[in-house]
Amino acid sequence: MLNYWFGYEAKRKRLLAKAPPGPLKDFLSVPFPDPKIPLNKAPILAMDFETTGLSAKTDQILSVGHISIESFEIMLSSAYHQVICTEGELKEEGVIIHQITDDTKSQGEKVEDVIEQLLYAMAGKAVLVHFSPIEKNFLQYTCKKLYGMAPIFPIIDTLMIARKRLDQRTSLYSPNDLRLFNLRESHKLPRYKAHNALSDALATAELFLAEIEYKKLKNSPPLKSVLS
Amino acid sequence: MEIELQEISDFLINIHPFDTLPQSIIERLIKSTTIRYIRRDTAFIDDTTTSDRLYLIRKGAVSLFSEDNKLLGKLGEGDICTAYCHLEKDVKFTIKVEEDTLVYTIECQAICNILREFPEQLSFLQKASNQRLKQKVYNMEDTNTLTPSLMKTPISDIMHYPVITAEQSINIREAAIIMSENNVSALIILDKKNVVGILTDKDITRRCIAKDMSTSASVEQIMTSNIVSAPATSNAFEVMMTMTRNQIRHLPIIDEQKLSGIISVTDFLRREGRNSVYVTNAIRKAESIKEIQEHCQVVPQLQLQSVQMGATAEHIGKIITAISTAATRRLLELAEEKLGPAPVPYTWVAAGSHARREQSSHSDQDNALIISDQMKPEDDQWFAALAKFVCDGLNQCGYVYCPGNVMATNPKWRQPVRKWTEYFSNWIKTPSPKALMYSSIFFDLRSLYGEEQLLTGVRKKMLKLSPKNDLFLAHLTYNATKLKPPLGFFRDFVLIHDGKHNDTLDLKHNGLAPIVDLARIYALSEGISEINTIERLKRVRGTRALSNEGADDLIDSLEFISDLRMKHQADQINIGVEVDNYMAPVEISKLERSHLKDTFKVIQTLQSYLEMRYKIG
Repeated sequence: MLNYWFGYEAKRKRLLAKAPPGPLKDFLSVPFPDPKIPLNKAPILAMDFETTGLSAKTDQILSVGHISIESFEIMLSSAYHQVICTEGELKEEGVIIHQITDDTKSQGEKVEDVIEQLLYAMAGKAVLVHFSPIEKNFLQYTCKKLYGMAPIFPIIDTLMIARKRLDQRTSLYSPNDLRLFNLRESHKLPRYKAHNALSDALATAELFLAEIEYKKLKNSPPLKSVLS
Repeated sequence: MEIELQEISDFLINIHPFDTLPQSIIERLIKSTTIRYIRRDTAFIDDTTTSDRLYLIRKGAVSLFSEDNKLLGKLGEGDICTAYCHLEKDVKFTIKVEEDTLVYTIECQAICNILREFPEQLSFLQKASNQRLKQKVYNMEDTNTLTPSLMKTPISDIMHYPVITAEQSINIREAAIIMSENNVSALIILDKKNVVGILTDKDITRRCIAKDMSTSASVEQIMTSNIVSAPATSNAFEVMMTMTRNQIRHLPIIDEQKLSGIISVTDFLRREGRNSVYVTNAIRKAESIKEIQEHCQVVPQLQLQSVQMGATAEHIGKIITAISTAATRRLLELAEEKLGPAPVPYTWVAAGSHARREQSSHSDQDNALIISDQMKPEDDQWFAALAKFVCDGLNQCGYVYCPGNVMATNPKWRQPVRKWTEYFSNWIKTPSPKALMYSSIFFDLRSLYGEEQLLTGVRKKMLKLSPKNDLFLAHLTYNATKLKPPLGFFRDFVLIHDGKHNDTLDLKHNGLAPIVDLARIYALSEGISEINTIERLKRVRGTRALSNEGADDLIDSLEFISDLRMKHQADQINIGVEVDNYMAPVEISKLERSHLKDTFKVIQTLQSYLEMRYKIG
């Protein structure tokens, strides 16, 4: 893990050298948080996307929500939500889920502006996501299109934390138990409306606090212990 | 405009005083909010939290304790805790996290800034719960007329010494001999001058004799070794609270491992004049109605004190009833002194809550006379005079006249045994809902004075008839189930059946009365002579009238609602307003509301079972 991490930081430096001037270079110029710092000192950004479909190659990011965690406190003042004015028409089956209509998205912001803001918010932080492949792939693919290069960033995935915890138990669990909604239920967290990027980011942030408290960690463990 | 963080906003606008604020202010408040998650049994706030904050429980539960570890209150979902706002810094307390808790926190300074234009809401947050908490902490110190003397008394003034002690090597028999020779009920056990245990007469009975243990066994085997003690510098009130809390009757006073004295519950009773034993004794010796009245005046204070000491409503009901009984008896004695001896034997009976031993300081009088069948028509003059004297006297003492005229002054309720037997026989054999509505109170009678057998005879015949008459039980059920508990709460209203809202919750008619009525019907259908509601429920538990579970649920519900009522009335006594049974939902915490909702459900379920049993509706 440690080597992997150093590889990460080294890779950031390598990418920084090659990156074209602009938002991505700015993002890469800020060092990632030290993996050895206690988790409660680590700056964390909980993030969620709604997308037009499941394929990073053919689909697009439709909305972005994020919120930061400092010293194990979720700062509502940092809450951010933005709909993106994507290209083309929305698929009906998607609209049913995320409830963003074509009318709404047509008033959204341009993707480059939203990604620029997002990279700015992510800089120097560990990114907290529930089931990270979607966000990771979509963000990397979108950046590649916009800046010709995909960034890397340290990720904390609540699904992985929960899976680790459940794997240590002897009883079996179903993959369904690992869904954000069900994990929150199991911690008796309040029910939130799903499939709004900000709601889901907040829901993930709360789940993260519950999961790390659940591990009954007396002294705050280092950041690296929860990185994917 | 799209509302960001809809979930947070939806939650806030359902909570007073946020429900009265415009959306723009709510959004500013949300912007200043942070969310924390606190695991059960961990510290509510750690030392790193420096700023003064208001906490809003989103999920979970916490309890607040005073410095001396007395429960001040519980907060659940939707409850606001202002305890960490600087206004309350002078109040010492601790918070225990009872369940995993998600809290919203806002800096007090931020609230002050945002609510600058909303002084009402701001002062609600600053004062309402603040004062409530403060009041609870300080109540014990001020207004209370009963405790100051104890507060100012060092325990060394009350404790007695030298203390009777024995070495731990002695056996139980030897210990018993030492105790009886010295006429003490507790013995301190030493191991070379160090206190290692305490042995009481109860330990000997319970842990030795009842268990068939040999009295030549060592005292170590039955003594209590985890002893609770206090230093000689404590004041008497603190010590009394410690003993009440730990439910112990003896407490050694130890300074730097040196035993300096011992205190027992009876020492307090002796010292503290105005306890119920003292009051009833004083009433017994009173020479005039005025004197009785003076002693009865402490009843509200007694209720307040008992609530503050953490007594249950059941216990307080019994204390208060003991005083009403003493007052009634003394009035009867005074009446007899004035009127001369009774022409024929009689018994004075209490009806309703007095008979059930469930009075609060707010109760009115309900009574009747059962006279021997030897009574001649002209004797009634004497009994009428007796009734007038006693009922007037009770009214003067604070037990106001019964609005339904259920009093011995009413000729209808001043009758010989055969007439009472006839009343009951009519009520049971040819029942009508309307007649039973007014007479159900007579199924709860207790003899307070005179020939108790007169009542016993009437009751025996009544209980023989009642289980066999389903129509009678059906009519009682019909009447009893007309009082339905509310559905629950909505915002700060009580939600009643037709979807209407009430501003207040009537704890008596919406909670207590339905349970009392159910218990009466169960008891009558089983021919059980018990009068007290809890006793009735315990007796019918597991009979065909009521399942074990149903009885347990009803007892829990009754205890919860009666405790809530006692506390509500204690608060009213404390601030000096008229005592009543009406509680506004804003006074009831979210957690209490959810408990109340559970009790409503219990009552509803058992009401409908009974309706099904007697085929009503």
